[in-house]
Amino acid sequence: MTRKPQTVTLLLSVLLILSLLISACSSSSDSGGNTGSSDPAASNDGAAAPSSANGKEMELTVAFIGLGNMNEVALVQDEISKITKEKINATVKLMPIDIGAWAQQVNLLLAGNEPLDLLVTSSFLNFSSQVAKGQLLPIDELVEEHAPTIKETMELAIFHATKVGGKSYGVPSVRDTAADHGFVARKDLMDKYGLTFDNVKTYADLDPIFQKIKENEPGMYPLVQRSQTNGIAAEIVRGYIDTLGDTPGILIIENQDLKVVNLYEQQMYKDALQLARKWYEAGYIMPDAATTQESNNSLVKAGKGFSYLSNLKPGFEAQEKNVNGYEMVAARFVDPISTSDSGTGFMMSIPKNTQDPDRAAQLLNLLYTDRDIVNLIANGIEGKHYVDAGNGLIKAPEGGSNYVFNQWQVGNNALAKVWEGNAPDIWEQMKAFNKSSTFSKALGFSFDSSPVKTEVAAVANVNNQYKAGLESGTIDPAKLEEFISKLKAAGLDKILAEKQKQLDQWAKDNNVQ
Amino acid sequence: MKTNDMNQPVVHAIFIILVALCLFPFVLLIMSSITEESAIVSNGYSFWPSEFSLEAYSYLWMQKAAMFNSYGITVLITVVGTFVGLLISALLAYPLSRRDLPLRGMLSFLVFFTLLFNGGLVPTYLIYTEVFQMKNTLMSLIIPGLLTNGFFILLIRTFFANSIPVQIIESAYIDGASEFKIFYRIVLPLSLPILATIGLMLTINYWNDWFNGLIYITEPRLFSIQNLLNRMLVNIQFLQQNNLGNQQMAVNPPMNSVRMAMAVIGILPLILIYPFFQNYFVKGLTIGAVKG
Repeated sequence: MTRKPQTVTLLLSVLLILSLLISACSSSSDSGGNTGSSDPAASNDGAAAPSSANGKEMELTVAFIGLGNMNEVALVQDEISKITKEKINATVKLMPIDIGAWAQQVNLLLAGNEPLDLLVTSSFLNFSSQVAKGQLLPIDELVEEHAPTIKETMELAIFHATKVGGKSYGVPSVRDTAADHGFVARKDLMDKYGLTFDNVKTYADLDPIFQKIKENEPGMYPLVQRSQTNGIAAEIVRGYIDTLGDTPGILIIENQDLKVVNLYEQQMYKDALQLARKWYEAGYIMPDAATTQESNNSLVKAGKGFSYLSNLKPGFEAQEKNVNGYEMVAARFVDPISTSDSGTGFMMSIPKNTQDPDRAAQLLNLLYTDRDIVNLIANGIEGKHYVDAGNGLIKAPEGGSNYVFNQWQVGNNALAKVWEGNAPDIWEQMKAFNKSSTFSKALGFSFDSSPVKTEVAAVANVNNQYKAGLESGTIDPAKLEEFISKLKAAGLDKILAEKQKQLDQWAKDNNVQ
Repeated sequence: MKTNDMNQPVVHAIFIILVALCLFPFVLLIMSSITEESAIVSNGYSFWPSEFSLEAYSYLWMQKAAMFNSYGITVLITVVGTFVGLLISALLAYPLSRRDLPLRGMLSFLVFFTLLFNGGLVPTYLIYTEVFQMKNTLMSLIIPGLLTNGFFILLIRTFFANSIPVQIIESAYIDGASEFKIFYRIVLPLSLPILATIGLMLTINYWNDWFNGLIYITEPRLFSIQNLLNRMLVNIQFLQQNNLGNQQMAVNPPMNSVRMAMAVIGILPLILIYPFFQNYFVKGLTIGAVKG
């Protein structure tokens, strides 16, 4: 028994040492992260006045969505800092935040006072509530002063599409802001059975193709859905409408007006349901299409699916080939449109946490005008994260890269080098494509559903019950009447009225006729 | 005795069924993780897959540096967190269990109060990050777990109060032992069952914790394993659902089997250590739970 106390003392001292070690670790890494930021924060008050002078060097923090392998983000950050230090006397701290942690961490970042100078924002990621809470700065004047050329990099309508209450709160990234709609199928099977798109002008003309596949490829479904929420009928009508954030209160793009209508009561929706039903009954669609969790890509990859309906863009076939593992061909039925969220889909905003709005705007400017910086942030360091593939294209290095970025979210992507598999002039095509699109009247409007929360929840319940079934053709379209009457009982009309009200107000604020 | 013999097979049958119900999901989990992705898509999950494949594990192996690093982080915070947590909990619970402690009722209530109410996410976050500057430190993974276990403290207090006779403590006192000596020479050795129980619970808490990592950690080198797996999973899902198709991202991992493989990797170490604690576990929980 005499040994016991020694063991206990030993244990305790080990614990003590461990905890000391840990606190030592933490404080050292802490100071590492903070020396850069505490210093400019202190200088902020003084430096704010002479904005163009950029007197004191500072560190600007840029937060964006990190989706791929970001292990070597620090290397890229150092390279970018070399350029920015020279141009705007600031270094850059890149802060990738995983999409899984995004909502939570950004919310907390903005609630606190941590340094954050540029932030990726999106109408899908709480943009309107961030603006409503005053967490983002209006940037019209900042952009006018420090980044006057940004608006030339994209369609003017898109550039202006981020206004809330007449002020801009973000600059859209240069990407595919429009979408056309159509049909994507496996090229090898199209060729094998001599199928072409010659006589296929619209969705209804697809029948013979499905039939051929159905007869000759047992075990394969001629048409699969992208997901439950992207049902066949929903895909068919999507090219003609602007959903204004959620269905069924929509605008019909063709009408070029600001009248919110109920999608489910439109003739085109009824027709689309009939078509989906016809295909379903003919066995072209999976029997469990309304409930399956498998995506179109995994079904096609597994040889279970032949084709799907989708929104498209230039270079879409190449992109899908990468994902599906098969050469794909596409037929385009509906001309490109730009909808209310085309601009706000991905933006760069200046949050209120910024230490120096002017410096942040200058960095924003570089993200749209400096080819080297755009290339670094989008593709990484040459020779390390990408290599030359000839023709001005680039490809991944042997053994993969430790810096994989998601181009569409930040800056002027048209300046970045293009990846192998795309046309070298993809960005020219993309620009022409964006320009050619029909713009929704409500471009830039975002619906705030909080005044009708209860109704939205009730309507969502009814939607869950019917929508996937109807749109995949699993349920007889005769049930549509019942669906609509249940929606109305759940308070749909109130939502539509609220949406119309907000839209009218928005139009008034932004001088849209 | 006769009825017992009759009952035996029935009891066995019931328990065999129960065991099977608990085991089958695990077996399915492990089998699915080694199934070829296309087999899952076309035939669904099965106990004996038509095609085996280690693709899911090789996909995870591609991230081995990050994986091993976060395993290390998890082991570190689990070990340190469990020991420090046990120590703090026992040190607080012991005085609370002594009837001669002044203000005992009020102090117990304060501990109890934290079970019912807390400051909410944003204030908690602001305190940890701005007052204590714990963002992106290992401390942020350990400290929150140490301070939010009022339930454990009450369990230990009840154990101390009920299963260690006051007379033992008194006689030790008469023999000249100091309070601290009584605590570690007499009380702690007599309380192994509850300490093992709480230790196991703390271990599980720390091992499975991803939420603290989610809000306090942005540096990949500090991700714990659960946090890393969770992030990978959500990222893959997001990419799939949103069809953002980036040229560089065209890895298109075997989603279904990767999910299962991640679960296997996440739980395996815990399953391995569980048997060593199990003996104490049942005993400690029942004794500590006699009075609330």
